[in-house]
Amino acid sequence: MNLANLLRSISAIVLGAAFLVPVFAMADSDIDTALQQTAAVSASANASVDTTGVKATASTTISATVVARAKTKADTEIDRRTKALTDLNARVEQMTKVSAQLKTNIVTNIQNQLTGLVQLKSKIDAETDGATLKADVQSITQSYRIFALVMPQARIAAAADREATIINMLAGIGSKLQARVQADQGAGVDVTAMISTLNDMSTHLTSAQGHAQAAINGTATLTPDNGDKTAMASNTAALKTGRDEITNGQKDLVAARKDVDTIMKALASAKVSATASSTTSVGQ
Amino acid sequence: MMKWIVGLALVIIAGAGLWFSGLLKPYLPGATALLQQATTTPQVQQQQAQQPVSDLPTASDDDSDAAIMQDSAAVDTQMKSLGSDQTNVDSSLNDQPTQQEF
Repeated sequence: MNLANLLRSISAIVLGAAFLVPVFAMADSDIDTALQQTAAVSASANASVDTTGVKATASTTISATVVARAKTKADTEIDRRTKALTDLNARVEQMTKVSAQLKTNIVTNIQNQLTGLVQLKSKIDAETDGATLKADVQSITQSYRIFALVMPQARIAAAADREATIINMLAGIGSKLQARVQADQGAGVDVTAMISTLNDMSTHLTSAQGHAQAAINGTATLTPDNGDKTAMASNTAALKTGRDEITNGQKDLVAARKDVDTIMKALASAKVSATASSTTSVGQ
Repeated sequence: MMKWIVGLALVIIAGAGLWFSGLLKPYLPGATALLQQATTTPQVQQQQAQQPVSDLPTASDDDSDAAIMQDSAAVDTQMKSLGSDQTNVDSSLNDQPTQQEF
């Protein structure tokens, strides 16, 4: 072994020790506490137990303590996900503009997740074997990748659906405003500015439609990464792009909504002018 | 007897020929009406299905100030809900799991 390799080995050992010591210290602390508890229980239950028996009991009690803590954390995470998915499901059920197929796909994904979580929680709560429990708990962490995809995927679809609803509403208002503007135009009012604003509103609604559709197109077909970091990065980027599309769509809708107010004010102003002109004519 | 059978067969064949050629259609108004109904009903249903469903609270032909104000208020409500939807998107993207024991 040359000097460089020796130094690398020593560094690795030192670094390893630095990370491992706190872990051991924590484990010792658990063991100590459990040992004391077990000793107290054993002393009252069976004063004649020998040293070997105490150790065995201590080992079992350590596992029980860790198991209890593991189950609590697992239940906390499962309950958290269950609530999030249940809320999401209620929101998805309200969606009216996305395709029936997309809605069905999202609901199916959510239901599969919920069913899996219920089964896992039941299994973990009843688990008595440490190794099996460890595997079950680790599956919670592994399945998080799916949860972390399904949630934003469906939330983006719900937001896009809402934007489609608002686009539909504003388009309806736009038609009404157009009729009013045409009526004013027929009455001789200068509607140049109003028509320009109507065109701006139409442009924003078209743009919002494009953003909402892009948000759906870019996220609806994403699949779980199954631990593939490249796929995970790709999914994350696509979801963030979807979020940005929703944000841009929302900005277009705010602008279109503002156009409604602008046109309404212009119509009101034209009405006042017409009334004033009529009054003046009568007065003369 | 044989002549009667051959005659009847010829009448049936001639009737069937007229039927398939469509020459009897003008004399069967009931059937024609049913046929037309059968062909037009899906078109009507299709037209009804193609009409966009209005999400506005007022009638689509009501362009009064009051109706447009009411419609605008409904849009504002949806815009607020969109804000909640966006917050939920952000929350889901920034979600962190509970640290597990193992």
